Amino acid sequence: MGAKNKRTNSDAVYAKKSAKSGNKNPFETSKEQTATKGQNAFDIHVNKEKFQILGRICKHDRGMPGVSRAKALQKRAQTIGKQYAVKNKTNKFVDRRIGKHLSGDQLTESVMNARFLAEKMSQVRASNKAERYNLNDDELLTHRGQTLEEIEQYRDERSDDEELDDEGLDADFTSAANFGGGDEETAQDRQTAIDKMILEQKRRKNEIAKEKDEVYDLTEKLDANYKLLLPLVAKATKDDQAPKPPPDAYDKLLKEMIFEPRGSVSDKLINVEELAKQEAERLEKMENERLRRMKADGEEDEKDAKARPKHRSADDLDDGYFVAGDDDEPDDTLAYDLDGNLGTHLNGKTNKVQSDKPGDDEEDDDEEDGEEEEEEEEDSDDDSEVDNLSDLKESDSESDAEAAPEQSATKSPKKKSSTSIESKIEDTTIPFTLKMPKTYEDFTQLFDQYPQPGQQATIVERLIKCHHPKLEGVNREHVVKLYSYLLQYIKDRFEDASEQDIGKNFKLISGLMPHLYDLTQLNPLRMSSTLLEVIKEKYAAYRKNHKIYPTLDTFIYFKLVANIYSTSDFRHPLATPTYIFIQHILSRARVRTRQDIGMGLFLVTIALEFGSLSKRLLPCVFNFLQGVVHMSIPKRDVEQVEIPPPFETIGPLSKLLAISSSTAKESTSLDGQKLQAEDLVTQTVTLDFRVRALDTSLCLIRETMELVAEHPGACYLATPFLPLLNRLPLKLYPVHVHQHHKEAKELLSQLAEQKQKRLAPAERKPKALRLLEPRFEAVYDDKRRPKMSKAKEERAKLVHKIRREKKGAIREIRRDTAFVQELKLKQILQSDKERHEKVKRIYQEASMQQGELNELARAKKRKKF
Amino acid sequence: MKKSSKAERKLQPKAEKAQRVELSLSLLQDKANDILNSTSLDTKAIQTLVDLLKLTDNEQLHVQASDVILVLEVIFKNLLKRNAMHVPLKNEEHKAKNKHAKCLSLYNELWAHLLNFMTDTDSKAAAEMSLKVAMQLLAVEAKHPISPTPKSKKNDVWPLNRLHSILYTIVNAEHTQIAPTLKHFEKYARCLDVLQNLLQILPQLAPEKSTDEIADKVLNYLAIVNLLDMGKSVLNDQQYHVKSSEFEFDYEKGRQDLNLIWQSILKIASFTGLDNEKIHRQVLVVLLERILPHLEDPIQLTDFLMDSLHQFDGAIALLALQGIFSLMQKQNITYPDVYEKLYNMFYPRMFFNKFKARLFYLADIFLTSTHLPENLVAAFVKRLARLSLSAAPEDALIMIRFVCNLLLRHTGLQRLIRATPAEANEAIVDPYDINETNPIKSKALESSLWEMVLLQKHAVPEVAQAARFVSQSSLPVMEFDLGPLLERKTCDLFDDEVKQQAKQFMLHYDRPSNFALPKQDIVTKYWDFI
Repeated sequence: MGAKNKRTNSDAVYAKKSAKSGNKNPFETSKEQTATKGQNAFDIHVNKEKFQILGRICKHDRGMPGVSRAKALQKRAQTIGKQYAVKNKTNKFVDRRIGKHLSGDQLTESVMNARFLAEKMSQVRASNKAERYNLNDDELLTHRGQTLEEIEQYRDERSDDEELDDEGLDADFTSAANFGGGDEETAQDRQTAIDKMILEQKRRKNEIAKEKDEVYDLTEKLDANYKLLLPLVAKATKDDQAPKPPPDAYDKLLKEMIFEPRGSVSDKLINVEELAKQEAERLEKMENERLRRMKADGEEDEKDAKARPKHRSADDLDDGYFVAGDDDEPDDTLAYDLDGNLGTHLNGKTNKVQSDKPGDDEEDDDEEDGEEEEEEEEDSDDDSEVDNLSDLKESDSESDAEAAPEQSATKSPKKKSSTSIESKIEDTTIPFTLKMPKTYEDFTQLFDQYPQPGQQATIVERLIKCHHPKLEGVNREHVVKLYSYLLQYIKDRFEDASEQDIGKNFKLISGLMPHLYDLTQLNPLRMSSTLLEVIKEKYAAYRKNHKIYPTLDTFIYFKLVANIYSTSDFRHPLATPTYIFIQHILSRARVRTRQDIGMGLFLVTIALEFGSLSKRLLPCVFNFLQGVVHMSIPKRDVEQVEIPPPFETIGPLSKLLAISSSTAKESTSLDGQKLQAEDLVTQTVTLDFRVRALDTSLCLIRETMELVAEHPGACYLATPFLPLLNRLPLKLYPVHVHQHHKEAKELLSQLAEQKQKRLAPAERKPKALRLLEPRFEAVYDDKRRPKMSKAKEERAKLVHKIRREKKGAIREIRRDTAFVQELKLKQILQSDKERHEKVKRIYQEASMQQGELNELARAKKRKKF
Repeated sequence: MKKSSKAERKLQPKAEKAQRVELSLSLLQDKANDILNSTSLDTKAIQTLVDLLKLTDNEQLHVQASDVILVLEVIFKNLLKRNAMHVPLKNEEHKAKNKHAKCLSLYNELWAHLLNFMTDTDSKAAAEMSLKVAMQLLAVEAKHPISPTPKSKKNDVWPLNRLHSILYTIVNAEHTQIAPTLKHFEKYARCLDVLQNLLQILPQLAPEKSTDEIADKVLNYLAIVNLLDMGKSVLNDQQYHVKSSEFEFDYEKGRQDLNLIWQSILKIASFTGLDNEKIHRQVLVVLLERILPHLEDPIQLTDFLMDSLHQFDGAIALLALQGIFSLMQKQNITYPDVYEKLYNMFYPRMFFNKFKARLFYLADIFLTSTHLPENLVAAFVKRLARLSLSAAPEDALIMIRFVCNLLLRHTGLQRLIRATPAEANEAIVDPYDINETNPIKSKALESSLWEMVLLQKHAVPEVAQAARFVSQSSLPVMEFDLGPLLERKTCDLFDDEVKQQAKQFMLHYDRPSNFALPKQDIVTKYWDFI
């Protein structure tokens, strides 16, 4: 604008002319562009692509050189052109002619308006014709570079004050700062004035800020107080209501009905088949768990690819097995509840297991909803149970009856009858609540009061129920104590049992067995450690003289292990030592009496029970059975039949069980009979025992062989039996022995002749090549370029880029200079033209002047003439 | 003197009162101090003490024989140091001659008692104590000899007769009684001076034919000989019972003595006729452990060992085999059938033998060579595998490891577990003949190791785990060290199993309702308890 002002009017005319030709109408250009864009093929330049590369975005496939050139020109005109125009022109003309001599105070509104008007006029003068008459052009008024509108927009509540104090700036300052105008004297101490003003301003600002902070704090405080007050207010309003009447019976009943779980719906709704199905599923799950443990570590890897993941999810209920993990939280273990239902958590989360089963999803939700309530109800539950203890008697039989169908899904009917017998046995003379005996003497006294095995079992049952750990924390110790008492009692009863009471003792242990199991369930870790200690003790006693059979109670403990623990595990902290113990006894202890043979056979049966699921074998079992058969073979004195220890090849002990032909008549007429409990306590070998022992061993041989028949190499176990069986004098034995002998022999010979395939490493599937995702690497090296390290490569890329940029920049600069040169040329041409015109005009005027002069001269001449 | 007599008086009535008398050690020690501190020797007091030893059997008098012995030891040690028993020659006059003679006789009496105690079965402590005291006294006596001797023959000062008497007592005792005494004597036999003297004495002590209880004596004698360790460790230890710088062990002399002893043993063996298996075994043990390395002409043993090997089996044959092995090693004798012999030593009863560890050790050495024919080693492998099916778990474990080692040594044998696909397809009955005595003819190489597969089903997890090597894709890289396994007992297996702290005791999921198992019940199937 200044530049334009500079020009004289006449210049301005030409300038306008040229500007008119240079400046394009914005509407015109846009029109042109739209016209070329779609239609004119000649305006479009296509960059031909040699190869099409997938995934590459190509920006330069087509271009419009005309348009882009025009753009570039326009841009230059606006940038370099402008710069060029103001080149070497450092001064600015500010028109201060209006009110030039007025001081700060004297600059009134009218003066300002006049200035604004003048400015406006100059703008109008500078603008072209179209703009000049554009009435819609309302210019934006700004304040500090922001439009007034913008300022309005961003005003917020809290900044009100600031704006206020902005407003509060005194007019002097504003005028001084914004419109520099002022007279000489004001300019003199302007500096000091400004300093003063700034100081003043700062002070004010500080004050205001402080005030504001205080106000803010106060409001905050007030807000907080209000929040605190709120509940009080609410309470105050509540208090206004009438006090609650004490809950009457109806209310109580109502509450109870609301919160009481609505019966054991899940149990009752499920019909028998579903129940059986659930039970089957549960058992299957446990069975799978057991199978997993049965395998050795390596076996699992080879045969079963899906190893159980170590990770346990939070939802894992661990209901597969009863794990004696932590002593601290036994409440989480799965166990029998008071009623003997399996699958209940001790802390009242009843039926969690069942709810976990697939197939009853609808119940699931109900369960989860009800769970919290149940937990709330727990305390009251417990109380009621304590109350119920007095009438446990009635509920006892009921619960038994209830429990029976639940468990009986897989149980044999025989067992049902046994439970019913148990409930029948119950004696009214036994009190329903019993105190836990403090010492072992108290315990034996208690048992002595009720000498019947059935009664004793009931006592134990009631002791467990009265001192269930769920009822009271102390009971945890109590049940452990009870368990150790029972173990001690077993020892006392069996250690030196006589022929008379052995049957009764077995009846007792038979009755105790389920309760021992229940006790172990209560705290598996503690109870098992106790039993392990006992077995360790027994072993320590045995190893002092390993040629003598230990006392009978040891075997009862073994049986206890077999009954309670999962003996099929590959390695079990209790079963494995017991296995080794059994093995040690069977292979070392001398067999001399009926009792020894009886105990040996008892051990053999227990060992078979241990291995019945896992099909593991204990060599000494086979050895012992061979020994029994060997002892049944009558031999002449010099004759020897080879048999490994602990049996003897010669001497009277080698034919301990042999029957002489003189008693043939008696022996052949004997009935088939199982081994008797007396065989474990009596020393003398009788005829019926001889027959019985041989018969049982023949059956056991068959049993063991069936157990190992599936393993390769079973023939090695079978072959040693065959010569022994062949030598048995069968005609001295009754018919059932013949039968069993035949069966055993058939199986043995079948196994012995079994053919087997040679061992070979398992055929492996050809290993599939690994399928890999292609890995693309940015390869920058080709023939032309040497391979470089990454840093170098990076650098080279950078250099390359720089070079290209440089090139581009140079080109731009070149074009800029060209543009400038053009401008210069244009200017020169224009100024030349102007000069020519001026010269012409001068010549014209001069010639006109000359003409006029000549005219005047001629006229003068003429006049002269 | 006064004091001691007082004490004696105190003692005397107590001994008579008997019933409540209890002579504590401190009381006895006081008395001993009194005796020693007194200016003149009180033989009577010593006499009472020595007499006390006779009374230890007396029920009424509660005197610990060991206490009395201890006290007497102190007294006589001091007396020996004081030369109080130095009996001068007859023509010399000495004021305390009688007393010295008395002391000497008491001393001898004490020795007699000590020797009695040594073979006393009733109290092991007394036997041990008496031996210890005897050896202590012997040491002191060696330094302070009772009878004056010329300085030059210092070495002869050693009271050989005392040692002789000790040994004589041991040899003539009952065999079952000397075990504790021998155990303690072993410590002394490691002292070089004692050893030298033992070697010197023992040839004279060899039992003669004439006596009745020859077997016991021979066994005792052999037991003593078994203590004579002339091994390097003992010789390097340089322990001496009597501390004297002058003594040096003469190996050559010791060796000659040992040879003499061996000859006497052979003599005994010739007249006992080696019928007694126990003696024969002991002779072999002594020979192998103690004598063989120091024998002058071990080749002469060949016949003896061969006879033992062929005419006996079990332990004797095994020991003889070991002897032959060392002869083969050191004397270059050849014995063609050694492997057959070894092979036939593996039979089930062997594992109930005391020397089974030796057998495994020996077999391991014999089969170390990788140049043995494969069929021979295969026979061993098969037999070991077969035996491990009936053996106790600890033995089974050794044999499984051993088999694995053999397969590693003889890579060709791996065909026993890695048949070619063609072979693996046909089913066969095991061609291996376990009853064949010749390992070469047992057709073991055509067989396969099914036993190991069966053993994987062993109830003892350790055994099952060990047998898994056949099913694994690759055999172990290193051979197993059998050493630590050899001495394992079933008890150790049990202890190891129990030692592992159990975190979980898995329970059976079926609740038993009576004595029987809910499922798979076997016990009540064959037993009628109620």
